[in-house]
Amino acid sequence: MDQSVVIKGFNKGIIVVLDPTKDYGTLKEQLAVKFRESAKFLGNASMALKFEGMKLDDEQQREMIDIITTESKVNVACILGDDPEKEAGFTAAFAEMSAQTPQANLVPSGFNGTFYKGNLRSGMEEIFEGNALIIGDINPGASVTAKGSIIVLGSLKGTAFAGSEGNENAFVLALDMAPVQIRIAETIARSPDHPAKSELKEPQIAFLEDGAIYIEPVTKKVLSERTI
Amino acid sequence: MGEVIVVTSGKGGVGKTTTTANVGTGLAKLDKKVVLIDTDIGLRNLDVVMGLENRIVYNLVDVVEGNCKIKQALIKDKRYNTLYLLPSAQTRDKSAVTPEQMQSLCEALRGEFDYIIIDCPAGIEQGFKNAIAGADRALVVTTPEVSAVRDADRIIGLLEANEMKKIDLIVNRLRVDLVKRGEMMSSADVEEILAVNLIGIVPDDENIVVSTNQGEPLVGTDTKAGTAYMNICNRIIGEDVPFMDLTAKKGFFSRLFGKKN
Repeated sequence: MDQSVVIKGFNKGIIVVLDPTKDYGTLKEQLAVKFRESAKFLGNASMALKFEGMKLDDEQQREMIDIITTESKVNVACILGDDPEKEAGFTAAFAEMSAQTPQANLVPSGFNGTFYKGNLRSGMEEIFEGNALIIGDINPGASVTAKGSIIVLGSLKGTAFAGSEGNENAFVLALDMAPVQIRIAETIARSPDHPAKSELKEPQIAFLEDGAIYIEPVTKKVLSERTI
Repeated sequence: MGEVIVVTSGKGGVGKTTTTANVGTGLAKLDKKVVLIDTDIGLRNLDVVMGLENRIVYNLVDVVEGNCKIKQALIKDKRYNTLYLLPSAQTRDKSAVTPEQMQSLCEALRGEFDYIIIDCPAGIEQGFKNAIAGADRALVVTTPEVSAVRDADRIIGLLEANEMKKIDLIVNRLRVDLVKRGEMMSSADVEEILAVNLIGIVPDDENIVVSTNQGEPLVGTDTKAGTAYMNICNRIIGEDVPFMDLTAKKGFFSRLFGKKN
């Protein structure tokens, strides 16, 4: 594997690491190869770009960007330098820009939501724009809020708030349902003060019906009545 | 006009939250209208000890930020209808509230309640400053250990510097057997070092662990700690209650604590 050009991701975009021991011509070729290979993965996302490993002058930077945009569909929003002040400015501008860009093209079609992997511990709060799929546990004192539904592949022992903007069809599903509180749209349900010792853990689903939140085992019948 | 009492200690783990829960519940038992405020933002506990965690919708930070009215954030206790809890926020930190905001919150609650009891976080930083800002009097909790007493001394110094009108001491988790053997400071030793009025001695009692885990304060129950907390409540409302004989059940120790007036 040729390591003269390495593409890495960071929170705002991608970093292209150039091997300074290689000559410029080789790097250009390798850059083209790398982006051609990753074109499908990167899609047509807008992202910030940062060069590392080698100092490029303006002319070289322009050439590099040309290669990237011809070889892939990536939309280079801006180039980040090493100047922290400038970077802060870029970050702000980028945040503004990505706020305007519709989110739809950033997620694969068919699943309007976000995956989250990891345990949410007490004091952690995650807010999702669409549906949320949590792979991990939600501990007491932690909360998950989503405009859509919440699915927890793990234990829900904290607070879940589905349909945060009023969607009454939103539901909460968990492999182990032991929440402190569940909210769906405007309705709040709290756990019993003296919970019965639960026998066996089974996946359960909480949904809103006639102004009350029901929690039932996940069955085909219950699922067939739900919409996403 | 209600009285604002802050429960503080400096050191962590000496029983501030347990004391707040029990004193608050005890005062409600005495038909006082009481609100408990948890100011330990980011590490909230009082709601768990009170068994009210599942009722939280709004919290202290929501109130000071104006996201809700005070009334909306107050959680009514499940046992006493004159007892309320204003829970702290778990997802924020101490800097979310300022001492000025705490002061005006206490002023707003004063008209409605007989006692406003503030559970202070450990430490002497922002959280402590917030907690004491609106208080009229302080209950300093310590255990009979040198480290806890050292921190209590520092706290009392800070309270005095902040012109706290009244400072009372609670010696928590006292073990009579160890004191007898001379292996633990007695409450009198602690009182002598700290030189503030002793308002209560709570013996080490395993029932506290059980009550905390169940979210049911044990004040007023027929346990040593339960009786000790009830005595503290009576002293807070101005009654003259003799200190209990902690050795009573054992039978062969003489009365350890003389009556204090």
